[in-house]
Amino acid sequence: MANIQLLDVSIRDGNQSLWGAMGFTTPQILSIAPVMDRVGFRALDFTSSTHMGVAVRTHKENPWERIRMARAAMTNTPLQFIGTGLRFISWEVQHPDFMQIVYDRLVANGISRFVVLDPMHDVEALLESARMIRKAGATEIIAALTYTISDVHDDAFYANLAAQLSKSPHVDRAYIKDPSGLLTPERARTLILAVREQLGDMPLELHSHCTIGLSGLSYMAAAELGVKVLQVACGPLANGSSLPNAQRVVANLREFGHTVNIDDRALAMVADYFARLAEAENLPAGTPQEYDASFLRHQVAGGVMTTTRRQLAELKLEDRFPDVMREVVQVRAELGYPIMVTPFPQIVCTQALYNIIGAERYGNVSDQVIRYVLGKFGRPTTPVDANVKDRILSRPRAKELAAEPPPLPPEELRKRFKPGISDDELLLRAAMPAEEVDAMLAGGPTKRHYNPDMQPIFKLLRELQKRPVAADIVIEKPDFRFELHSSRDREAVNA
Amino acid sequence: MILRRILIANRGEIAVRVIRTCQRLGIETVLAASEADLDSMAARLADITICIGPANSSASYLNIEAIVAAAFAGKADAIHPGYGFLSENQKLAAACDRAGICFIGPKVEQLDAVGDKLKARAHAAVSGLAGVPGGEICSLDEAQRLATQIGWPILIKAIGGGGGRGMQQVHDAGKLAAAMEMAATEAEASFGDPRLYIERFIPRGRHIEVQILGDGENVIHLGTRDCSIQRRYQKLVEEAPAPNISEILREEMHRAAVAFARHLDYRGLGTVEFLLDCDRDTFYFLEMNARIQVEHPVTEAICGLDLVEEQIAVAEGRKLQWKQDDVKFLGHAIECRINAEDWVHDFRPSPGTVTRAVFPVGQGIRVDTHIQAGATVPPYYDSLLGKLIVHGANRTEAVCKMRRALSNFEITGVATNLSMHAALIRNDEFALGGVDTAFLHRFLQNGNREVA
Repeated sequence: MANIQLLDVSIRDGNQSLWGAMGFTTPQILSIAPVMDRVGFRALDFTSSTHMGVAVRTHKENPWERIRMARAAMTNTPLQFIGTGLRFISWEVQHPDFMQIVYDRLVANGISRFVVLDPMHDVEALLESARMIRKAGATEIIAALTYTISDVHDDAFYANLAAQLSKSPHVDRAYIKDPSGLLTPERARTLILAVREQLGDMPLELHSHCTIGLSGLSYMAAAELGVKVLQVACGPLANGSSLPNAQRVVANLREFGHTVNIDDRALAMVADYFARLAEAENLPAGTPQEYDASFLRHQVAGGVMTTTRRQLAELKLEDRFPDVMREVVQVRAELGYPIMVTPFPQIVCTQALYNIIGAERYGNVSDQVIRYVLGKFGRPTTPVDANVKDRILSRPRAKELAAEPPPLPPEELRKRFKPGISDDELLLRAAMPAEEVDAMLAGGPTKRHYNPDMQPIFKLLRELQKRPVAADIVIEKPDFRFELHSSRDREAVNA
Repeated sequence: MILRRILIANRGEIAVRVIRTCQRLGIETVLAASEADLDSMAARLADITICIGPANSSASYLNIEAIVAAAFAGKADAIHPGYGFLSENQKLAAACDRAGICFIGPKVEQLDAVGDKLKARAHAAVSGLAGVPGGEICSLDEAQRLATQIGWPILIKAIGGGGGRGMQQVHDAGKLAAAMEMAATEAEASFGDPRLYIERFIPRGRHIEVQILGDGENVIHLGTRDCSIQRRYQKLVEEAPAPNISEILREEMHRAAVAFARHLDYRGLGTVEFLLDCDRDTFYFLEMNARIQVEHPVTEAICGLDLVEEQIAVAEGRKLQWKQDDVKFLGHAIECRINAEDWVHDFRPSPGTVTRAVFPVGQGIRVDTHIQAGATVPPYYDSLLGKLIVHGANRTEAVCKMRRALSNFEITGVATNLSMHAALIRNDEFALGGVDTAFLHRFLQNGNREVA
């Protein structure tokens, strides 16, 4: 029987998988942070560059300040950043010196644990990121073994990757990352043993999405097979296309005789807070998923699926969703089976969407797909379909992108902006439109408090404020009566 | 270390205050309550309430054995002592250490260093901070000699306690013997310690204190508070930051308080109290309070920190999250202590049942209370019903907000000092800011008190 630790992904991956990364503001995080810090999680999956971009764009909040404030509120629990190679917020590939500043600033602001992963399983690229992150001063670096189903991705493939990772001084741990929830308990048994054999003493974690309801069982298999940390989410941020529910995983682990040293009461408070927040903000709660065999073909992770659904809904084409999913399978094959982890699900899904809603397939092609075919993201696992490749590269835009200059080093980038800005601001300005960064900076001091139970009242007050002055407002329901009467007496109004 | 369950060895508004922060942090609470407080708001808010004895505080809130036993029974890993009662009691802190329970406060040796006024003054002197000229007196002769040396008039004070008990003002040598005897008797009765000391009487002084926070290694200050509005050494109105003092003097006070706390390797929340001598424009060390203060919310308002949360963090062994430069002060805050006292009848305590309680709400308005309609105000304890705290962009705005908030504060069933505060806040001298400790007496004399 094992002692199992939990890592919680509610704030980052849970939010991204179920709420399209739009869910959380800084006060919403800070209001539950001290409780989360007391649960006893091994770490929190806290942010990613995408998540940081959403903070700026959607919430006009400074993502660096969010990290600092969360760090101050959660001193017991390491906060994790997940990156993908040389990207920061925007899709463009950045200069290595730029990325070094990104990592330096993340560490300085309070991130201590980093995920390194490379969608192409290019170990050299992954270890280069790990080296930079170590230089920045990170205390824990965990490498992803991104799981997928294909002829090449067998146990021996992952064992070989694990062997390479285990030799690096810059990798402290590894995890099997199953972003699409494809891992069955049967496969978990052979895969985990194969990987662990190569990792030696290096601890192994498991991260498997609930997309088709497999992960709850896979986690129990993993606990038996020496996986030290299971990655989970809390309350409404679990299940669906997110990770297994922390409370359920704890109960099941104990049922099998394992020990889990966490504060159940604090965990329940966290789950309850997220449930109240979801209700107040009208955000959908994750629900247990049914097994869906067809999913094993398209392999699109939850967050991207939600985004695709939203995009279709905006075009009033919700009914085409199954067609898009079918097209995803086709596009992925034509593009040489990129592993479906950021940024590829977004790229593949967008292309599938264009192919379905456009007049002809590949009639409209995103810059990202062109860059991918040009090899700017690295070498595809298998070659791109020759016809598709010709079609894409014959577009005039392909010539322009082929001639794209290499990314600028930070000292060149700095010349584009007002002199004297901080590194934190430089990184945001280099990766985002100026007006979005300006709007964030103009947003004023960050709020700290959020109470989900108060939201209906704030909403009522905001709505009342918009209305022309009404002399009397009465709200009545059983055992409750609320009256507002206008008055000329200032003191009475203040009452 | 992570504290998961805290026993609160206190009552009234501070018990409620501590419980609320614990709830926010996800910490369970066990309330140690006397028989008189089993129906109190704190008892209803706490996860567990354990009765620690009869109403009489010496058998309950001052009973160390009962409190430690309650912490054991309630499986608490820490004790928060609040203010007053046993909050600065070394024996409780030592009993906690022996029992393996975390005492949320300074270490035993630090309580020892500041709990005794003379020891505290000696430590302050070592850290470069002078007290009011004076010293311990063991005989009348010694007292005569010392008084002549520092100059009349003088104050006689109890070594073992505070709050004005055992204190006597003496203007000439002829009255010294009688005053000493009275002070010793009162000190013995109040603190079980008849020892006395004398010091120079400062005719025009202000009571200004600096909030400090230490983790046993690093110390920061959280600014000044002015607590000069006192009646018989009981504070009634406090504000932060202290108004109308030069920035140079303020900085010196900050520095002196931090140096003193550093000298003690201080861990926890503490207040270094100063007497500002208005005529000499200098300040003396008075004492250090090694606990959370009643008036802590005015500091919280201007620096944006939750001081109970900080106390718990330090008790958990965490290093301070803030450097001095991280602490930013914003605006001005004022607190009025609302007491169940019939202020027009010499502040006679007014226990009873509250029939109606309506509190002001709004931005920058905070009410810390344990009172609601139907609450009982028992006769056994202090008369504090609650604290009204307002925060404005500047002092003028805060005063204005306090005036409005007071007019929306309603308590019936027991007599309160609300109308005194309403009159005081409209007073011209108060409006100017920076009144001395004799102000309230003058205010009450000048027709601001209906004759009984």
